[in-house]
Amino acid sequence: MPDGSFASHPQERQFNPYSENGGTILAIAGADFSVIAGDTRQSEGYSIQTRYAPKVFRLTDRAVLAVNGFAADGNMFVKKVKQRLEWYRHAHAKDMPLKAIARLIQTMLYAQRFFPYYVYNILGGIEEDGSGAVYSFDPVGSYEREACRAAGAAQSLVQPFLDNQIYFKNQLAAPNQPHPVHLPLSDVLSIVIDSFTGATERHIEVGDGLEIYVVLAHGRSVQGLEGVPGVQELTTSGEGDRVFVIRRELKKD
Amino acid sequence: MTHITLTLCTNGQVITRIHLQKEYNELRTSVLALKFKDGIMMAADTLASYGSLARFKSIQRLQPVGSSTVIGASGDMSDFQYIQTLLDELTVEEFTAGDHHELGPAEIHEYLSRVMYARRSKMNPLWNSILVGGVKDGKSFLAYVDLLGTTYSASTLATGYGAYIALPLLRKAVEGREHELTEEEARKIMEESMKVLFYRDARSLNKFQIATVKESGVTISDPIILETAWGFAEGIRGYGAQTQ
Amino acid sequence: MSIMQYNGGSVIAMVGKDCVAIASDLRLGVQSLSISSNFEKIFPVTDRLYIGLPGLASDVTTLREQFRYRVNMYTIKEEREIEPQAFAQLVSSTLYEKRFGPYFIEPVIAGMQKTPSGSYAPFIAATDLIGCLNFAKDFVVAGTASEKLFGVAEGLWEPDLEAEDLFETISQTLLNAVDRDAFSGWGAIVHVITKDKIVILSSSAFISPGLGLAS
Repeated sequence: MPDGSFASHPQERQFNPYSENGGTILAIAGADFSVIAGDTRQSEGYSIQTRYAPKVFRLTDRAVLAVNGFAADGNMFVKKVKQRLEWYRHAHAKDMPLKAIARLIQTMLYAQRFFPYYVYNILGGIEEDGSGAVYSFDPVGSYEREACRAAGAAQSLVQPFLDNQIYFKNQLAAPNQPHPVHLPLSDVLSIVIDSFTGATERHIEVGDGLEIYVVLAHGRSVQGLEGVPGVQELTTSGEGDRVFVIRRELKKD
Repeated sequence: MTHITLTLCTNGQVITRIHLQKEYNELRTSVLALKFKDGIMMAADTLASYGSLARFKSIQRLQPVGSSTVIGASGDMSDFQYIQTLLDELTVEEFTAGDHHELGPAEIHEYLSRVMYARRSKMNPLWNSILVGGVKDGKSFLAYVDLLGTTYSASTLATGYGAYIALPLLRKAVEGREHELTEEEARKIMEESMKVLFYRDARSLNKFQIATVKESGVTISDPIILETAWGFAEGIRGYGAQTQ
Repeated sequence: MSIMQYNGGSVIAMVGKDCVAIASDLRLGVQSLSISSNFEKIFPVTDRLYIGLPGLASDVTTLREQFRYRVNMYTIKEEREIEPQAFAQLVSSTLYEKRFGPYFIEPVIAGMQKTPSGSYAPFIAATDLIGCLNFAKDFVVAGTASEKLFGVAEGLWEPDLEAEDLFETISQTLLNAVDRDAFSGWGAIVHVITKDKIVILSSSAFISPGLGLAS
């Protein structure tokens, strides 16, 4: 077309620097513990890339980070957060407090405001006052401290279930028996497992394996963890908060 | 295949736009890999296509890196050759350190994933999917990295059409048996999978190489030409030479 | 946005022990603007059979009348009431007639089906907008909150729930799901069907625990 009229039909193949790798994460805060969980399937479209790609990472003995969305961004983001925490350790000879990690994550995410990390972050752990905490973020750094949060492919399946079971939404308390503000650890673990088995049943991008991280406040007993099959402790230093991981199978179809 | 638009302007006015349509030599076909008892095995055919043209029929797509790693590439051929030069430079640089340390498969994969992710972040990707495999210090390693910087690891991996056609076969044969499969059994699984791929992937060749990495080192086979039988096509409408 | 989300609304049906339940929200909206909080989407077909019609509100009316007409014709010709199983097929073929210009409705059917022995068995079904039937043994969902309904129902539902417990389960499932959906909510209605009784509880009337079916 010599007149250049084809210019109105540009047919360029633009490179898309993003992808979606499925999976779901969630976190629930207790009075003196925090539970952070994620499935281990990584997929692209209808293909399962691997049945074991962790989305939940221990940052310190009191902080655990779950990342979900574009896996390459997620892994790079976790790598950079860990690097910043190491620098902090070298400068201050202690681990960064949880709320400071939360603010660090917001800053790091917002720094990429115009080429964002395509990742939803949930940070769980123990605050300096010994309370269990969950912070959730959007990809560009908006964040909030909450009692529970689900994110990822099955967020819309899991979050309303959590509203009902954690916040007791739509349930009226019996007279003189108000709903508990925090649930015991064993109840929280059951709710986490039920959430993921439910999501696995109805969402194709969720399944294969489940990793549940449990952070216990300094001095708390392991009540609720004893008797759970396959618990593994990941704590690095003696005194202080403790981190555990529980690994479970999920359906692989 | 990439489309490039050149825009010619004077005083902010667009005079003309020239559309270039450049076809690159592509390594479109699959790379397959699996873990077995003594290490890892990787296979790739020797074809580099140019669109639908089978342009180069004897290209090696499996490359040893150091003495305990092998990489296999699909995607753009020139980008792969660039990656090979990067890895050569890296190997030489590490050698000249003279500390008798050598990069193993995990380090090579980490390096590649950083390069790939950095290039995608500059919106100028290296258009490849690469498998990295090897054995070092008694531990076998197998992982994937692509143009987006996406990485993952599993006991069976495949790129391209192999991920749809061969991977289910590999998973069925390998998953849960990684520590009992012998080299001979692994080779048999590979040959069978490559045969199935050749039958169904139009951009593939029945000439391929198999790389094996064990504690003792890397071996890359000479090209293997598979015997295939097309007799069944005779009676199938659309396959054979029927006129109607 | 899809025409399926234009007016909003959701329906769910569940199987219990010798009973079924079907429930919906009461919202009618125009995209994000809420217009009405008493727009019913569930209609009786026979004494033991109900249909829920979430989707485009104008098609709710059209299909309700269409089904009423066809069920009446069936009753006259056959000289008997239509059974849930047969009605599901009628719904399916009615929708498939418009395969290439469909009604934007995803019906949910719940009823008690007469068995050869003369007793009644719970029956639920749902179809997509062109009539692909789904006979589920546990629960079916449809509408703008369908994903949320799936998530909560998968967590709360269990086999062989008695009518009172089924009522509680379906109510909690619906309420918590629509509370996370911008296009559903604004009140709810629940129908519990047993072989000889239908209990309908609407809106805020039932949002108190232990109220049960007695009231």
